[in-house]
Amino acid sequence: MPKWLPPILLCAYFGGFLLLIALLAWFRPATHRENSQPIAFPHTVHADRLGLACNFCHESVTQGPQAGMPAVEKCVSCHQAIATERPEIQKLLSYQEKGKPIQWQRIHQVPDFIYFSHKRHVSSGLDCAACHGAIAEMKEVRRVRSLQMGWCLSCHRSRGASFDCATCHK
Amino acid sequence: MDRRQFLQMLGLVSGAAALSSCGSEKGQKELVSLLVPAEDGIIPGTETWQPSTCCECPAHCGLLTRIRENRPVKLEGNPGHPVNRGSLCLRGQASLWRLYHPQRLQTPLKRQADGRLQAISWAQAFTEISEALQHNRQQGRKNAWLAGRTSGTLGTLIEEFCDTLDIERLAEFEPFSHAALRQSYGLLFDQTDLPRYRVDQTDLLITIGADLLETFLSPVDYTNQASTLAADKKRHWTHLEPHYSLTGANADRRLVLTPGSEGALLLWLLQALVTQGRYRGRWPQALQNVLPTSDLAATASATGLQPEQLQELVTHFVQAKKPLLIVGGVATGHRNGQSVALLGALLQWLTALPWGGLDFSATENYSRVGSLLDLKELSQKLASDRVGVLFVSRCNPVRHSPTALSLNAALSKAHLKVGLTDLTDETTDQMDLILPLAHALETWGDTEPRQGVIGLLQPIASPQHQAHSEGDLLLKLLRQATGKSPAVDWETYLQNNWQKRFNRNQLSQLMKEGYLIEPGPKPSIRLNPSRATKALKNLQLRAPLALPAAVIAPSIRSFDGRSRSLELLSEIPDPLTTISYGNWVAVAPQTAHRLRMRDGGELQIKSADWQSTQPIRSQPGLAIEILTLPMDSLPTPAAGIDPLTGEALRYYEALQLNSTGKLHRLPILAGSPSQQGRGLIPKPIHRQKKHEQDNHGPRASFYPEPQYENYRWAMAIDLQRCVGCSACVASCYIENNVPVVGASDHLAGREMSWLRIEPFYDEQGRVDFLPMLCQHCNYAPCEAVCPVYAAYHNPEGLNVQVYNRCVGTRYCSNNCPYKVRRFNWWQHKSTPPLDQLRNPDLPLRTKGMMEKCTFCLQRIRIAKDRAKDEKRLVQDGEVTTACAQSCPTGAIVFGNLLDKESQIYHLTHSQRAYRVFAELGTEPGVHYLRPE
Repeated sequence: MPKWLPPILLCAYFGGFLLLIALLAWFRPATHRENSQPIAFPHTVHADRLGLACNFCHESVTQGPQAGMPAVEKCVSCHQAIATERPEIQKLLSYQEKGKPIQWQRIHQVPDFIYFSHKRHVSSGLDCAACHGAIAEMKEVRRVRSLQMGWCLSCHRSRGASFDCATCHK
Repeated sequence: MDRRQFLQMLGLVSGAAALSSCGSEKGQKELVSLLVPAEDGIIPGTETWQPSTCCECPAHCGLLTRIRENRPVKLEGNPGHPVNRGSLCLRGQASLWRLYHPQRLQTPLKRQADGRLQAISWAQAFTEISEALQHNRQQGRKNAWLAGRTSGTLGTLIEEFCDTLDIERLAEFEPFSHAALRQSYGLLFDQTDLPRYRVDQTDLLITIGADLLETFLSPVDYTNQASTLAADKKRHWTHLEPHYSLTGANADRRLVLTPGSEGALLLWLLQALVTQGRYRGRWPQALQNVLPTSDLAATASATGLQPEQLQELVTHFVQAKKPLLIVGGVATGHRNGQSVALLGALLQWLTALPWGGLDFSATENYSRVGSLLDLKELSQKLASDRVGVLFVSRCNPVRHSPTALSLNAALSKAHLKVGLTDLTDETTDQMDLILPLAHALETWGDTEPRQGVIGLLQPIASPQHQAHSEGDLLLKLLRQATGKSPAVDWETYLQNNWQKRFNRNQLSQLMKEGYLIEPGPKPSIRLNPSRATKALKNLQLRAPLALPAAVIAPSIRSFDGRSRSLELLSEIPDPLTTISYGNWVAVAPQTAHRLRMRDGGELQIKSADWQSTQPIRSQPGLAIEILTLPMDSLPTPAAGIDPLTGEALRYYEALQLNSTGKLHRLPILAGSPSQQGRGLIPKPIHRQKKHEQDNHGPRASFYPEPQYENYRWAMAIDLQRCVGCSACVASCYIENNVPVVGASDHLAGREMSWLRIEPFYDEQGRVDFLPMLCQHCNYAPCEAVCPVYAAYHNPEGLNVQVYNRCVGTRYCSNNCPYKVRRFNWWQHKSTPPLDQLRNPDLPLRTKGMMEKCTFCLQRIRIAKDRAKDEKRLVQDGEVTTACAQSCPTGAIVFGNLLDKESQIYHLTHSQRAYRVFAELGTEPGVHYLRPE
């Protein structure tokens, strides 16, 4: 092996990584940027100003483990007539036209090995804001709680809920 | 390289490794909304159930399909279905593997001149077929349609298709054609179909060769009935066979007879019964005169049974109120097969028909099935260039035709061979065009496995590939060839037929329940005396087979071999030998000893015109001069054709056995065939000793007594009812995403099954099965040794494994006396689209994690959720484990031990209840009920 090769390789290698990091910083993950959702949906309008109940759109929140995202058809049922000229609504209507579902970026997620039921939490009298924060005041939804096990348990302890691992761990 | 360079390289490599392992795993998933709201009642993240019918074998059991995220993830028996009553066998469980099979055919394929297959479009395929049909018709050749057993509306459409296009619809092909039985019923009673045998009502069952638990007509139905019978001490079941089958292992009494001597036995039985008082009046004088004579001594020497055993058989027969004799399986698969079937049918007429033991109002719909003689005829037609286009649908005649038939050579004479199938096999290897068929869960359809029982097929899974249902394919072909078709598509055709046949109530029941019962008229069965006389006169009873003989035995895991391609079924060991992957021949331990061979030693088996080499497996209880050759071990599982009945011959006789000296590694999963005196299944001898645990002092423990508030989940397994059929094992695999690891891991002792069936043999070669799973001990040895608290005892009595805590020390597995914990040595990945067959209620375990039975924690969670909604506790029968649900004999019961009204409480407090290794003080939550 020529004597100059290892240092060159080393430089090229680590230099490559530096370049990569710089690039990553440039194209920050879509989820961390403002307006990263496919449609800039304002909870401030729907939940706060109009005062729609959470389960008006997230229909299965009281029925099953997942809160559920409203179907495109549901959004369009109102927006057929309301504010149709705005660009974001145009986007929505184009989804309907193309027959494509909206791919929202997921903000709140628990790991694959965790069983979490919205129904159980809501029916025990817990407010949505306890975990999701003041969504109605957020222009774009952010995660305000860590959703880590310690945080879950602090609430389980204070409310006297189950403390058995198998309740949540699948 | 000097030191400096070495360090530089080291820095490079370790730096790269460190950097590449960086990165966040918090990849944000997308949350996809639906386009239109889900149908009523579908809640995201919850399950729905749809009825369907299993098409893995001709029995067509009723199904309930569990659907999660739009995909079928589990099959269960339909509780009300008259064939399987809620249970499902291992093949039925594994049929989901067929749906997601990585090798499923995706497009029509055409064989090129060099033998390779090339994908073509459906339009191309249809054009080619319809041109070939027309061309061959003009040339004066006949086009032909050969299919496996077909029932329901599909049969009507095939008939219409063949009539319109002047195609000859050949007799259907089934490897287990039961041709000899149907021939004798036709001859004696003018019935060309097989009756339903009322095993549930008999008080004495004698089965000769008929493998009720494995492949005989409707295995789940008969397993259920036969195990109820065997568990009832007032009723008795004797099974006679030359080899050792699972059916024989579970009968009250298994008698070994010389192969080919069944006719002699039946003749003697018939004669003894006729001369005994009870049946004398029923037996016509005309028949009396032609009944060949036989005597006890000659029969005893021909069959190899003791005279006392024969006498006892007759005594039982005479005393029984409702005796039932069933012949079939390997008993009709030899040169005396016709006489066995005839004498069997005569005996049934004499003893079982009067009380209704043979139900000809619910026949098994085999009347369109032919025999190997029909295949022979086809072979001759092909050879003389009289066949133009040959369609072969849903059957594998090439594998199942004996070499003497030379079907392969004859097939090459056909002008166009079209195969319809989902997976390739020996027959499609000979085809010019291969058309992919959709899975039964992807199409509409109906079946009629038994006269008057109609099962529904509906598209539960969206079709993965370009596959068509057979109905759609036929309609499209009709339209291509004639320009018109009887309906737009198969669904419309079905609907039209259903509207004609059923009224509105029936139709809505079919759609809702998935099945329909239409009781048919009870035909009166009369003996045709003249034909019976003639048959008895011409009765040919040739000498039994020359020993040593090999029995080609059907398999509970693959039926006739059609399920071989489902890898899950190779992963689950054969219940008697506990071999999972590969071929073998079972020999008696004495034979192995004589040949100085051990398990895996290669044996050369040679007869006058056939030979094979197979690794041996010593099988306790097998007769010395008999070998059991599983069908799957042979490339051609038929030794020849019986010219009288058209049955496949299932024996090789006058064998020479030699050791070749080679040794194969067989994946034998059982540690030992014997209990080694540990009393795992306490026999009377163990109970006499009375375990010394009674003399132990009070229990001393470092740990507090477990306290249970509402639930203590527990299981009871009735060993008297367990037949070792392994349906529970298959069910567990699919419910819990248990990885299928393959032969090499099995050889290394790294099998992953959470539930295993352990066969234990006694000195007489009788076997008892012990299903072994996590015992969910009160004082679990695994929990105390876990350094990270991954194994712990939960407040409901479950021994829980928290997967993401586990660091893989394997201390727990070392400390478990039951050896039920399984370690993930690899990251087990399944080939797409098999990865879609996944229960989302469980996480995937990754490399380095310990896993084991959870008592189906996810099912308990669903039941508790439902109960909590209604502000009550989970009631008895509301939740059950996957294994208990699937069990065809109801041997497994699951429930809450704190509920004093529950079935589990009742069973665990029975006289027969015991716990394995109770003397260790682990206090398991699994209670066994010992056989008596």
